[in-house]
Parts: sequence; C-alpha cells; structure tokens
Amino acid sequence: MEVSETIAHHILDHDFGVMVGTLHLPVTAHTVTMVCISLVLLLTGILMARRGKSVFSRLLHTAGEEYVAFMRDGIVVPGMGVEGKQFLSYFCTLFLFILFSNLAGLIPQMKTITSNISVTGGLALCSGALIVYCGLKFHGLWGFIKTFVPGGTPWWLVPLIFPLEVISLLIRVCVLAIRLFANMLSGHMVLLSLLLIIFIIGGMSKMAGTGAAIPAMGLEIFMTLLELLVAFLQAYVFTLLTSIYVGLVIHSH
Amino acid sequence: MSIGPFTPKDHLVITTLGLEFAVAVALGTGAGYWADRRFGTAPWATVGGVFAGFALGMYILVKEARRMARTAEQNKDEKKNGSI
Repeated sequence: MEVSETIAHHILDHDFGVMVGTLHLPVTAHTVTMVCISLVLLLTGILMARRGKSVFSRLLHTAGEEYVAFMRDGIVVPGMGVEGKQFLSYFCTLFLFILFSNLAGLIPQMKTITSNISVTGGLALCSGALIVYCGLKFHGLWGFIKTFVPGGTPWWLVPLIFPLEVISLLIRVCVLAIRLFANMLSGHMVLLSLLLIIFIIGGMSKMAGTGAAIPAMGLEIFMTLLELLVAFLQAYVFTLLTSIYVGLVIHSH
Repeated sequence: MSIGPFTPKDHLVITTLGLEFAVAVALGTGAGYWADRRFGTAPWATVGGVFAGFALGMYILVKEARRMARTAEQNKDEKKNGSI
C-alpha cells in the first residue's frame, strides 16, 4: 500500500455496507463513533443530574455543576451577556460533544469524527441557526434585517452592503466548520506521517529504519500530547466563537 | 489578559479573520468558475469572482477593525469617566 493510501485509509470514513432489503444504510465508522459518543454523553448527563448518596455520584454531580458554572462565566456570559443564559444548555452540549469527538480518535478502533467536514459542517449549521434564531428573537424580523445594514450607511449603498453582510454571516459559519475540520484532520495526518517515516526509511535499510524509530517515536509522543491540547482548545474556540457571533447579533446596535 | 487596546474577545476574532478572508476569495473564485462553465464566459467570470471575493474579504477586515476600534474607544471613555 502506498504511503498516501495508508494515510487516507486511516483518516477517511469506511462504509460497513449495511443493507436492509434494497436500502443502503449509512452505517460508517464515523456514524458508529458518533452514536457511541452521544450515548456516553447521554449516560454521563443522566448520572450527573442524579444526586445519589455514593461518593462517586456526589463527585460527578459536583463536577457537572462546576462545568456548567465554567461554561456560564467563562464562555456564555462574556460572549453574549446575561441574555445568553437561556442558551446555556446548548453551549454545554456543544462543548462536550466536540471535546469527546476530538478525543475519540485517541481510543483504538474509534475515529475522530470532527476530521469529517460533514460533521463540523452540521455543528456549524446548528450554530448558524442559533445566530439567526437569536437575531429574530431579540430584534424581530425587520430589526434583524436592519442589523445587516451598519448604522450611517448612505441609502444608495444599501443594495451593495446588504448582500455583503449576508454573505459575511455565511462565511462566518463556513469558517467555524473549516477551522475545526482542518485542525483535527491536519493533526492526525502529521501523526500518521511521523509514524510512516519509520517504515519508509526501514524499507530502504533495516538499520536506518531502526535508527529513525527513536526520534520519530519521540516526535510522535510530542505530537500526541499536542493533539490532546488541540482537542480541548478547538472545542473551547468553537464554543466561544459561537457565543461571540451570537452576542454580536444580540448587541448589534 | 489582553494585549494593546483589544479585548480578549477581539483576540479570538482576529485569529479567524485570515480564514474569513481566504474563504471569501475561495467563494468568489468558485462562484466565478461556476458562472464561466455555465455561461461559457471563461475566464472573465472567474477573474471577476476573484476580485469580488478579495473585495468582500477586505470589507470583512475593515468592518471588524472599525468595530474593534469603536469598542476600544468606548472602553477608554468608560475607564476615564470611572477614574474621575
């Protein structure tokens, strides 16, 4: 197998080819991982919400409370103001889902689903829908349309500025998707490329391959730790940017 | 923590501006390329699309810069009024 094929095999999605009669079900490695993450999150959420008597249950409950307080005071209120508190549950879910999706790739046989543009595109569309919903909720239809025209714009410039503003909103949503996708995909490609260096050099000379293994594994460990940091960072950035964009629509005047 | 007149929120928005500019140019180029293939006007719609995308990218940059300057000015005024 070529080097590029090996990288593609590990990163791209695989269809398991599940058929029900003549219907082809989209059961792929990414969808299975996504369902697993959703179930884990659902179970964790249920356990966190319960106030049991055991130490573990109380610890989990306290961790949940701390997490919600961090999301409220660190992301939602600074980005959106007090109006954002009503959307706190969306941001809590978004952050944990992205974080678990980013980390899933570190577990053997599971995939980093955020390295699939369809997944990040779906998440960005949800954020885009929240931006539009907040615009309509806080300003009404006419008020929301007016937010696309900055104050002080001459009337003859309005037909030019309005489409530009609408497209720039679409671009923001696209950027949310591309940023997460590119960061997660590139990290995994670097990890695989570093690992494959050993086999490429080993194919030329076994001794040289053995010698290359030590620095390559050192870099591999460093990159894995960096990936761990990036997983947390990108989940934080996606959530914070969503809250900032929604906040800009809410406080547009 | 914030550097210069920018708020921490602004720092994060600044990191996305480069990508927003790139996406604007790519979007304009893509739209122009599609128009060229659809109407057989190659290469003029693509060239026009590149320039339109560039203009849109510049518009986004200038708009964000103006918004940040306005926020910095407001924060400065609030600080001045608070210290009197």
